[in-house]
Amino acid sequence: MTDSILEVRNLSTHFFTDDGEVKAVRGVSFSVAPGETLGIVGESGCGKSVTAMSVLGLVQRPGKVVGGEIMFKGSDLLKLSKEELRNIRGRDIAMIFQDPLSSLNPVLRVGFQIDEAMYAHDKIPKDQVETRGVDLLKQVRVSDAARRIKDFPHQFSGGMRQRAMIAMGLSNKPDLLIADEPTTALDVTVQAQILELLRDLNEQTGAAIILITHNLGVVAGLCKRVLVMYAGEIVEQGTVEQIFERPQHPYTWSLLRSVPRIDANRGHRLLSIEGLPPDLIDLPQGCKFNPRCPFRVERCFTDSPFLEQVAPEQRAACWVTMERAYAEMGAGNITDTSPGAASGIHPAGRTRPAVEVPAAVAESVSD
Amino acid sequence: MLTRGTLIYIAQRLALIAFTLVAVSFLVFITVHSLPGSAFESERVHGKALQLLLHEYGLDRPVLVQYWSFLTNAIRGNLGVSFQIRGLPITPLVMRELSVSAELGGTALLITIGLGTTFGVLAALRQNTWVDYTLTSIAVVGYSVPSFVLAGLGVLIFSYWLPTVTNGVISYPAIWTGTYGTLVELSLPAIILGFYTSGQVTRITRAAMLEVLQQDYIRTARAKGLKSRIVTVRHALRNALIPVISILGPLVISIITGSVIIETIFGIPGLGKEFVESITAADYNITVAVFTVYALLIGIANLIVDLLYTVVDPRIRY
Repeated sequence: MTDSILEVRNLSTHFFTDDGEVKAVRGVSFSVAPGETLGIVGESGCGKSVTAMSVLGLVQRPGKVVGGEIMFKGSDLLKLSKEELRNIRGRDIAMIFQDPLSSLNPVLRVGFQIDEAMYAHDKIPKDQVETRGVDLLKQVRVSDAARRIKDFPHQFSGGMRQRAMIAMGLSNKPDLLIADEPTTALDVTVQAQILELLRDLNEQTGAAIILITHNLGVVAGLCKRVLVMYAGEIVEQGTVEQIFERPQHPYTWSLLRSVPRIDANRGHRLLSIEGLPPDLIDLPQGCKFNPRCPFRVERCFTDSPFLEQVAPEQRAACWVTMERAYAEMGAGNITDTSPGAASGIHPAGRTRPAVEVPAAVAESVSD
Repeated sequence: MLTRGTLIYIAQRLALIAFTLVAVSFLVFITVHSLPGSAFESERVHGKALQLLLHEYGLDRPVLVQYWSFLTNAIRGNLGVSFQIRGLPITPLVMRELSVSAELGGTALLITIGLGTTFGVLAALRQNTWVDYTLTSIAVVGYSVPSFVLAGLGVLIFSYWLPTVTNGVISYPAIWTGTYGTLVELSLPAIILGFYTSGQVTRITRAAMLEVLQQDYIRTARAKGLKSRIVTVRHALRNALIPVISILGPLVISIITGSVIIETIFGIPGLGKEFVESITAADYNITVAVFTVYALLIGIANLIVDLLYTVVDPRIRY
């Protein structure tokens, strides 16, 4: 993988809290090719944002990157000095954030905040910064950019603020743009506009994009490749087609089945994933998804699965995989998604309360 | 920057201040005139002589009439005459004393803001380290120990103990030698006066900085690759100053009330000292004049604070 611009190897980030060590990201590896659009999906608290923050060296106390390598353009970001990393941040790797209202400084003009990113680095000549500021705002389709650039954030709408954030991110022509839930706080129509904008910018500027989201629809619309994270680990990765059409990890599969789809037939039931993600301080043994997995087998409780090739370009970390779940456990017709429901595995100590058999039924059976 | 709305707002506030001055002076005037005793008691004048004296100063008229003549004169800038030093016009006296007090109070205010914000920012940036604990402790001492205790200690150490130990090499005159103190003379009372308020500013700045540093826009600023000094000052401190500005009004009041004590202890010929002496001597006109000047200062300080908001926070417009 020499052609990748970013290569993360075995990244682990932990938070040292009073309650214990929160192992937020554990052994995450992935790479991003130049100009690629990579999606990272997973529910809240699965480590998507922490992964991104680790790349930029923005993890704050009590958090700390405890292991791994982050190779960017041939150097390990984790080994750079603060000043060297600061020079990459916002210049070569830019990041935009979820809530565009709270992510812009309320007391500084929007234009100033965009220009500031360029003044902080040497990529854009100082005398071109102000014209480029207006051009960027035009490029992200803010109307009347020359006038609006003098506004304060509170004078912008939510969508415009996110456009301004994107303009800020693109200002230094970065090689990589990390977008952390860029559409979450926005209306659906505005979401679509922002995604379209990101897609166009990816094509025009050639900047690679890492899109972090819990929204599968957003990933499908923008990304070519997807990483699925669960409880601080990557559980599956593949092309967007593979992930959406032939998911192999039960978590990915459940996630997709929990999203309403307009092209699904009407009899298709929406399934929920029962239970909650594990406590990252006190993780379960074996597969981290085992407490919620309908297809779990005995091995899931003892051994941690690792990412294995399941198809060209597709890898999943699962002892069962959906191929087997469909063939042996009737995953296609499943209605009960409770843990172990499809495989019937309820090991001692983890057993659900036994269902009481009504007397009449018991009699008829004994007859 | 000054929009029409802002100018109207300032005009309204000035009108309000004028109304407050009338109300304050009226209340003080009525109060001091109903106190027992008079400025001439110590002079042992009685009978006809006293009547003549009272008549000369207009003190034999009904209080409301006296107030009316005070008010009409005050509007023209004439605050009346002193009883104690017979016939001494008060306006120039108060103006001179005000300039002395302003020198002291202004220095104390500078110390307050400079020291307080610096300490607060440093404590927040080094939260829960020895730096934080040291600075926070100094702040707690600052706003827990009464200024008259500190002033007494200051005089004791710098005017008595140090001169004795160093055989007069280091000495501090407990009483100002001239009308305006030298820088050395000014420093000790100004530091003591600003110490209490610095503690308050440290506390507020630290809390505000800690909150602001958690904000998303600080993360954005860092993600842009800004230098940490710029993130701290331009992005964090500017937002953290908003709550600090909101306590500036009360701080100015603290400094004014504190100056009454400090000026008396250090023998500084300012308004505060005059205030205390005028009450002791029942020199009503001076008491009323000083009170009114204090009310004016506080009103203007609060107006400036409210205008400062608009400078720091663009979301606030009048």
